[in-house]
Amino acid sequence: MKPAEIRRCRPLLGTFVEITARGRRPAALERAVRRAFATIEALQALLSVHDPASEISRLNRQGHARACVVSRDAWRVLRAAALLSRQSGGAFDVTLGGGAAGLALLPGRRVRLARPLQVDLGGIAKGYCVDRAVHALVRGGAESGLVNAGGDLRAFGPRAFPLHVRHPDDPRRIFSLGEIRDAALATSASYATGHARCAGQLRDGRSGAPIPPGLSVSVRASSALLADALTKVVAAAGDRAEALLARYGAHAWVYAA
Amino acid sequence: MEPWIRWLAAPACLVAAPVHAVQYLTVEQAQQALFPAAMRFAPQPLELSAAQIDAIEDLSGQRVRNAKPQVWRAFDGSRPAGWFFVDQVIGKHEFITYALALDADGAVRGIEVMDYRETYGGEIRNEAWRSQFAGKRQGDALKLGENIRNITGATLSCRNVTNGVKRLLAMHALLLRK
Repeated sequence: MKPAEIRRCRPLLGTFVEITARGRRPAALERAVRRAFATIEALQALLSVHDPASEISRLNRQGHARACVVSRDAWRVLRAAALLSRQSGGAFDVTLGGGAAGLALLPGRRVRLARPLQVDLGGIAKGYCVDRAVHALVRGGAESGLVNAGGDLRAFGPRAFPLHVRHPDDPRRIFSLGEIRDAALATSASYATGHARCAGQLRDGRSGAPIPPGLSVSVRASSALLADALTKVVAAAGDRAEALLARYGAHAWVYAA
Repeated sequence: MEPWIRWLAAPACLVAAPVHAVQYLTVEQAQQALFPAAMRFAPQPLELSAAQIDAIEDLSGQRVRNAKPQVWRAFDGSRPAGWFFVDQVIGKHEFITYALALDADGAVRGIEVMDYRETYGGEIRNEAWRSQFAGKRQGDALKLGENIRNITGATLSCRNVTNGVKRLLAMHALLLRK
């Protein structure tokens, strides 16, 4: 039997999330894709700073006064963020200026903020959502596919997908990064004209200074969470990020105007 | 050994690619995806009067550009299951067709993007160019989409869809809710 392929797209995570999945049983594939989208919706409700009811918003309101118990998903993302913050010497920072010391991760999935800080998982949560969606697809029987959340993407299975990124100064122009197979890629760019709202404002975690426009960083890594976070490290630290990339077996492409 | 960081001499490897376009779902497929149990979709022809357009704009805060919205009523057997809308939004660089499903109580059941086209430059403002989208251009656009599948770092805004949904919800509240 020829494998079926479906491709769906929904507005989620402040962008469009596109899922491509291939498998033997079309009905199971439809269900798996629906479940993958539902997974992302549920994670968005937990991790978004734009939703006052999310766990992260609650942490931002209460976390400096007392430790907050968070879900397994929020815990995983916060733990990964704290680790990357330490390993990058603060170039990656989800506490907007608090550094690795701003966030205390305590036994029992309890999280405390050292002082009134704002945690923003914008530099890592989208990648985690992509990873969880891939997990839902694989569990639902998809043999290969791709989840692309507005540029944070991950391919799974034996199939290779061609990859392109945009020119930071002229989004009409696109450059090829070859193919991706069973790996993730994320791109962070500071576009020159009016696109920054979507691309995510890049900031150096140590100084808080915005990264100058015209810089585009793509990172290929084993998971979308890693790829997402490492783009920020490379954008802030440049060649000094090499050791961390090597440690994770990740590769970066940098285009600076 | 591949270097960990590669600094690109960008102009050397640029490919001109003016349009990224993809079709995800036909109307029938979108109906099926959003109402898997519904058996029947009855078109609900609507022609908005100027007063109705004003009322929808006031309630939603969104401009109404199309006086003939595409609306279907979904039935599960003889029981009304909800509403199904097909709508277009035009962004600065995007032209998006999407489907919205509401359940019988008017709550959002789901949104699916049906097709997505990116454009740059002034073309989208040009009526003649835009009208080519009706059917014929689809084949060409799809082929382009196949060639340029995964654009990362795409500056895709979904705000226009969110605003479109606000407009459809206002229309439903004013004209369709019994």
